[in-house]
Amino acid sequence: MAEFVTASLGETARVLVVSGEVDVASADDLLPAAEPCLVSGASELRVDLGAVTFIDSSGLGALVQLRNAAARHDQQVVLENVPASVRRLLEITGLTEILPTRSDG
Amino acid sequence: MSESVARSLSRSRLPEAGGRGHGRAGVEQTAATPDPAPTAPPDRRAARRLAAVIALVGLVITVLCAWAAARVDHNAERRLLQGQTKQAAAVLSSAIVGIQAPLGTALSVQRAVRPSDDPRAFDDLMAAYVGPDKLFVSAALWQRRGSDLVRLTSVGLPAAMDPAASATRTYLGKAFDVATVTVRSVTVGSGSRIAYARADTSTDLVVYAERAVPANRRAPVDRDSAFADLHYAIYLGPEVRQAALSTTDVAPASLPLGGNTDRVQVPFGDTVLTLVTTPRHHLGATLSRWLSLLLLVGGLVLTAVAARTGYHLVAGRQDAQQDAATIAGLYQQVGTLYEEQREPYERLQRALLPHVIPTLPHLEIASEYVAGARGVDIGGDWYSIIALAGDTFGFVVGDVSGRGVDAVAVMAHVRFTLRAYLIEGHSPSAALEMCSHQFDITTDGHMTTALVGVGDHRTGEVTLANAGHPRPLLVADGAARFLDTRVGPPLGTGPAPYPSTTVTLPPGALLFCYTDGLVERRTEDIDTGMDRLRTTVEQAHQQGTPVQDLVEHTLGALRNDTAPDDIAVLAFRWGGVA
Repeated sequence: MAEFVTASLGETARVLVVSGEVDVASADDLLPAAEPCLVSGASELRVDLGAVTFIDSSGLGALVQLRNAAARHDQQVVLENVPASVRRLLEITGLTEILPTRSDG
Repeated sequence: MSESVARSLSRSRLPEAGGRGHGRAGVEQTAATPDPAPTAPPDRRAARRLAAVIALVGLVITVLCAWAAARVDHNAERRLLQGQTKQAAAVLSSAIVGIQAPLGTALSVQRAVRPSDDPRAFDDLMAAYVGPDKLFVSAALWQRRGSDLVRLTSVGLPAAMDPAASATRTYLGKAFDVATVTVRSVTVGSGSRIAYARADTSTDLVVYAERAVPANRRAPVDRDSAFADLHYAIYLGPEVRQAALSTTDVAPASLPLGGNTDRVQVPFGDTVLTLVTTPRHHLGATLSRWLSLLLLVGGLVLTAVAARTGYHLVAGRQDAQQDAATIAGLYQQVGTLYEEQREPYERLQRALLPHVIPTLPHLEIASEYVAGARGVDIGGDWYSIIALAGDTFGFVVGDVSGRGVDAVAVMAHVRFTLRAYLIEGHSPSAALEMCSHQFDITTDGHMTTALVGVGDHRTGEVTLANAGHPRPLLVADGAARFLDTRVGPPLGTGPAPYPSTTVTLPPGALLFCYTDGLVERRTEDIDTGMDRLRTTVEQAHQQGTPVQDLVEHTLGALRNDTAPDDIAVLAFRWGGVA
């Protein structure tokens, strides 16, 4: 089970806090949960993965879909607080450039 | 089009939906089969039987209570009527005394005067009692002389009994035979009178008087409160018959009185008055009168409610039992459907995998596909290996993210596209790059990782390109390491270049390609799984295990029986050119 919570960081940024297991069962819920952020007009969408305990290829796919959807709204997706296991998975799957991570996150 | 499909789906859920079709039978069947089988309506006989028993018992109790209350009320009414009738009779008795008293007084007066047959005293006395609105309408004094009777005087209206008639004399003569007043009824015109006669044997005098029965037949006594609650009919004599009717407060034509009646006889001279009464209204307490009806109505309502409640309780329990049975049946059905649904998907998945591994010189090849443990939806893992032109061969191991038929469709698409590019002679890098233009996660919902390689079975040289796939394991010279392929993004994330990596296998080297299901576990880092894989394969390889056995051994050692993800493995050992 995964949970998705959105919050506003001023006018230019929104944050989507993801927690739990983002897998084949829960990945489809990510995009609808982020919808309010996408239409907010903010230029940046930060995705906080600090509380993610597991992510599989479906979860990564959902993040890519989020990134593509955000791009259509001229919004930049940036991952924050990426756990080491998730960072490793991003490396293995060659997604580090597509899903940039905030270095100071 | 999609709208019409949705409509036909929703229609197909109705059991009676008739016309299906337009070539979507497969889809509709899938949607229709989860419908519960139409269940027979529950058997309500037990519920009805209970309701009937409750209703019967309730009815019996209600009727008995109402009957008892009615009996009590009836008996109370009888007793009250008897009491009232006695009072009325007492009033009547005293009225009779009042009527008869002047007759006795007149005789006493005549006994006192001299000569006793002087009629003036009688005239004076009776003047007070005879006249309109007085006790009598007519009175006369007669004297017995030998066998004859002579009228000495008369007061008031002419007597209804003809003084000249012999019947009159016979009647008056009889008065000497009794110690009390003789009474008889006489008709005069349309009305009637009561005739009284009283004799005094010491003076041989007879006092005769007639009293009119009121035209309205009302007895003067009914003004007394004793009659207030009663309808009555007073008959002269012991018999209740119309001809003997004296007075009544109801229409004479409606007599005799019916219903709850009481009858009492009051001595009246040489005869009796028969008083028949019936209550004008209920004599007892109002509650007593309505109690039986209240009990009846209340009992019937309670009986109906109890029967209905009983019925619903039993029916509800039956429904609950049937629901439980239905739900259990549904679970069973779903379980069966699940198996049925999964089976063709898995066949499809396996059908898309290579049926025959090509025989390639110098190569010992093995492959396995293991479906995930749970879920109807199957994954999109695959492998392929094909002979290419010259001494080369191509191979791919890939993984489509997500589950289900869509994922398998994407898998088939990627698989055959890559295969075609490789057959055409494109390099792994070029094949992946061209593919990266053709897939988009935004439109088809899936991204695909793939490791693509082209090898030369004569030289052992292998060129690899990687689209986000876990790195392959190379076991050479007794040591295993993950090949440091340069990694591009998964297919579907957008056009990208895929730089290639080339390695030359030493003879006897093993290249082990796999999908993430083999190394990924929820509870641990992926590197832990990759280390476990490396150690397991390295040991098996050192022992000279045949590649097929090595693959099976590795799967057995690493695969978790409950792991949801599917796994594809492709491994080959290059023997080198002798």
